[in-house]
Amino acid sequence: MLTVTNLYARYGKIEAVHGISFHVEEGEIVTLIGANGAGKSTTLKALMRLPPPEAPVVSGGEILFAGQSLLRIEPHVVVDKYKMTLVPEGRHIFGNLTVMENLQLAAWTRPKHTFSGSLERIFSLFPRLAERARQRSDTLSGGEQQMLAVGRALMADCSVLLLDEPSMGLAPLLMLEMFRTLKQLNAEGLTLIIVEQNAKLALEVADRGYVLDTGEIVAEGAARELMQHPRIREAYLGG
Amino acid sequence: MEQFIQQCVNALQWGSFYALIALGYTLVYGVLRLINFAHGDIFMVGAYIAFFVSTFFLLPDGLFGFSRELTLALTLPLTVVLTSLVGVTLERIAYRPLRRKGVHRLYVVITALMCGLILENGNLALLGASRKTLPDLIDKHIYTFGSIAVTNLKLWVIFAAFMVFIILHAIVTRTRIGMAMRAVSWDEFALPLMGVPLDKVIVFTFILGSGIAGLGGLLFAMSYPVLEPYMGAMTGWKAFIAAVVGGIGDIRGAFVGGFLLAMVEIMVAAFLPSTFRDLFAFSILLLILWQRPTGIFGLPTTTKI
Repeated sequence: MLTVTNLYARYGKIEAVHGISFHVEEGEIVTLIGANGAGKSTTLKALMRLPPPEAPVVSGGEILFAGQSLLRIEPHVVVDKYKMTLVPEGRHIFGNLTVMENLQLAAWTRPKHTFSGSLERIFSLFPRLAERARQRSDTLSGGEQQMLAVGRALMADCSVLLLDEPSMGLAPLLMLEMFRTLKQLNAEGLTLIIVEQNAKLALEVADRGYVLDTGEIVAEGAARELMQHPRIREAYLGG
Repeated sequence: MEQFIQQCVNALQWGSFYALIALGYTLVYGVLRLINFAHGDIFMVGAYIAFFVSTFFLLPDGLFGFSRELTLALTLPLTVVLTSLVGVTLERIAYRPLRRKGVHRLYVVITALMCGLILENGNLALLGASRKTLPDLIDKHIYTFGSIAVTNLKLWVIFAAFMVFIILHAIVTRTRIGMAMRAVSWDEFALPLMGVPLDKVIVFTFILGSGIAGLGGLLFAMSYPVLEPYMGAMTGWKAFIAAVVGGIGDIRGAFVGGFLLAMVEIMVAAFLPSTFRDLFAFSILLLILWQRPTGIFGLPTTTKI
């Protein structure tokens, strides 16, 4: 479904990703793991075709979505036409809008009559959002903001979700709950690409994984195998 | 007392012009965090467009020889539309290419300054230094209440400013595109992830801001019919300061700031020699900013970690 070949990405003159290749099939959960600065977030932002300065410029390689190149596509078209969106690191919710307004805005490309149905669905996944629907979203706690960020992505009516550090800033219990929800969404047919520093958690839910180190893929395989790999255990899973 | 009320009426009219220009500054700043220093000159262009459109249609020299009422009815929408096109063109050829490259906002602000100078001097080069005079488009009536005198034009100007504010406020708070505008002002990065085309939201913002400046230009030219290429520069600066004092990025702030500046200016001029006007007016604004650096409606922004 999504095939990345020999991707190079740079911020200005600094190259952050040096020719990585990976693929994601429909219905899979694929995780990219690695330390800080390995190029995981850079890869997701490049896939979404977000503009600089926050996102990198792709300087080589190819990104194919169902056989079509995304390289000359604008980010809102990636969402609208290719049905892929990103839950960015640090959530990036619209703090000056209410929870409800955030969800309404995310429904921009969705046919109007399907709004209330998916709103119900999101509120059943994250009941806290229903309670706080009329509240300005910058008054939410960090965990609630993360729920809103995921809820917003679901509202965008996409079939591929990129998640950048969905566990960041969450208390351990909430973290598990979030991943359980993601697993459930995947069971319903959503394809997920998850970038995580918490490699153990990510590998537990993922089908396959890629390990990034300073802009290169150093290991790949089924999540189960990666978890058993002695070198990966030592470097990313705390022995 | 009556003199005071008379001055208040004058300040309301004068403030309407500041408010109409300040709204455009604050809209573009609110959405793009860009101080569009060419905005005062877009107001000037609006006044000139009003001049050309109205003389084009009007009896007896105009091509069509329309009546004044019909001319005004055509000039109003045409001025708004053509001026907004000027604003959109600036965004397209000057600001957007820089935005695409992801350069720091400072460079875009400097570009805006240059665009303003280009508009001023382009006008000077094209039309020469001669001053244009807008023909009368409405019959002037003067209403008197005791010793207070108000022209119908003044009332129209004030009415127009309030209407624009109410409509703009409704657009920003009630509509989907208004919601997108507010969202961009908070987080430009995340908007495309909702499938919302950022460029369209930005173009819409420039249409609104420049269209309002065009309306301001028309009303200004009707009130003070002599046009010259630099008329937008000083008025634009003052309107920008009014927007900052009100709290830039907030449309209530631009509106209130515009009237506040006019009130201060006119009250100073009423009781002191007129050469003191700007010195005192801006000193008072400085004191306000001292107390509230982010303006009357501005809030210090906080981000949640």
